[in-house]
Amino acid sequence: MFGRYRGTFRSESGEILIEVEEGDGLLTYRRRCGEDKFERILVTRMAEVIINPVEPVNLPKDITNFLMIEFPPLMIEPGVSSTVYLKFPVEFGVFVESARDIEVADIFAPTTQKYTLYGTPTRGLIARWYGSEVYSEIPEVDLYREGVMEFTITNTYREWVEVSRVVFESVDMKIYYGDFVASTATMRILGPNLAETDFIDAPPRPGMVKSIELYTARKISALNRGYLMEWGLS
Amino acid sequence: MFNVTAILEMPLGAGGITIWSLLYFTLILVIGVLIARLVSINVRRALMDRLPVNERELLTKLVYYGIAIVALLAALPQLNVDLSGLLVAGGIAGIVIGFASQSVISNLISGLFLMFERPIRIGDNINVSDVTGSVEDIRILSTVIKTFDGIYIRIPNEKVFTSNITNYVHNVARRFSYQIGIRYQDDAALAIRIAKDVIEKHPFALRNPSPSVFVDNLGDNGVNLTVFIWAPARNWWEVRTDLLWKIKRAFEENGIQIPFPQRTVWFPERIEVEQRSAVEEK
Repeated sequence: MFGRYRGTFRSESGEILIEVEEGDGLLTYRRRCGEDKFERILVTRMAEVIINPVEPVNLPKDITNFLMIEFPPLMIEPGVSSTVYLKFPVEFGVFVESARDIEVADIFAPTTQKYTLYGTPTRGLIARWYGSEVYSEIPEVDLYREGVMEFTITNTYREWVEVSRVVFESVDMKIYYGDFVASTATMRILGPNLAETDFIDAPPRPGMVKSIELYTARKISALNRGYLMEWGLS
Repeated sequence: MFNVTAILEMPLGAGGITIWSLLYFTLILVIGVLIARLVSINVRRALMDRLPVNERELLTKLVYYGIAIVALLAALPQLNVDLSGLLVAGGIAGIVIGFASQSVISNLISGLFLMFERPIRIGDNINVSDVTGSVEDIRILSTVIKTFDGIYIRIPNEKVFTSNITNYVHNVARRFSYQIGIRYQDDAALAIRIAKDVIEKHPFALRNPSPSVFVDNLGDNGVNLTVFIWAPARNWWEVRTDLLWKIKRAFEENGIQIPFPQRTVWFPERIEVEQRSAVEEK
């Protein structure tokens, strides 16, 4: 289902159906995901349709750029760096591309969403919430529902620190896909309640295809500067 | 021999104005205009993101011409213009203009404070001076609010600044509540669990701070549950309207009903009333 399609096509997997049909000289993009349906007429000579996983902060509507993953508490020794695997939600981005431009046509997901507050109501932020277990190896996931995040935590603080959540700015998120959807991220603990998080532009396994990011398609210029978690790590 | 000093000090006309004083006058004026231009450019840059273009340009021009006028007043004595008369007249005019434009100046200063303190921003849902709506524009002299009925209301900035401002979306999240009554024979623990499940499924009912559902009081007609839910400040209204109906439907699906107002009336001849109705039915 993920990939590039030219002209008419039909791709179905479980509860998800995506197709581009031709009728009366017009191309119609049609998508069904469970009960949710979407349709657009494409006025184009021969556009390419690209389907790939995108930053999971757009549904049911775009209210934040932040993603929080909560997991069972980890106690991290001072000076230690460790890599674990977390799961994150997958959202489908459908793009239409021509020689001159690329545009987002549709975003959907077969999963439900939940949002949370990180910090205080006065100074905090709203983030997409997702709960995950902690895995020592790449876990098995449903390709269209969950992705795998290779997550490297480094404790640069002089004391043991407990971590049970991580907040990312999705603008920096780099997503790859192949047998599964994946992303690589880091967390540098600076204090008992302070940490820097960032994404790395590299897949956890070689040979994976890089997704087109929403921010690139929307032509929004953004600096890759990571995120500073100031309101606690657990 | 050619004497520069003599030429510069040579009077021009009858007013005692020399080339020297004329040069001084021009120099002061040019320096004044340059300073005015420099300051106005910096004012424009500083206000680039804070003020709409019309107000920004108006303020920049005010600054520019204000400095230019001060430079002109500073330069005029070089042309032997006596400013004392002008000062007296200007002083009187200033008092008159000051009294006349007291409210205008007050609104202007309040507008500047509003722009720098930023208790409200364009698009915010606010309540000020008993007016509730969304902020359409914050101008130099007034703030424009569009009420939720779509009515345009202009409030002078002085009034906005000196009033209590309630900004419903200033914080990123806010709490709202419901009072839901259930019958005395319904299971309150089950009702709480159902309400929590429904809230849990709503994407914008925030996970943290977590929602709270509890038996608040035992009312005249039923058991009253209170529900507290946190939602993103900009989406709280849609969450509020959406969730209440979903909770009501979930209660109904599980046999929990919202009680109607009820009164127990005791009839001393109760059995007789029942018999009479039974006879009528026959």
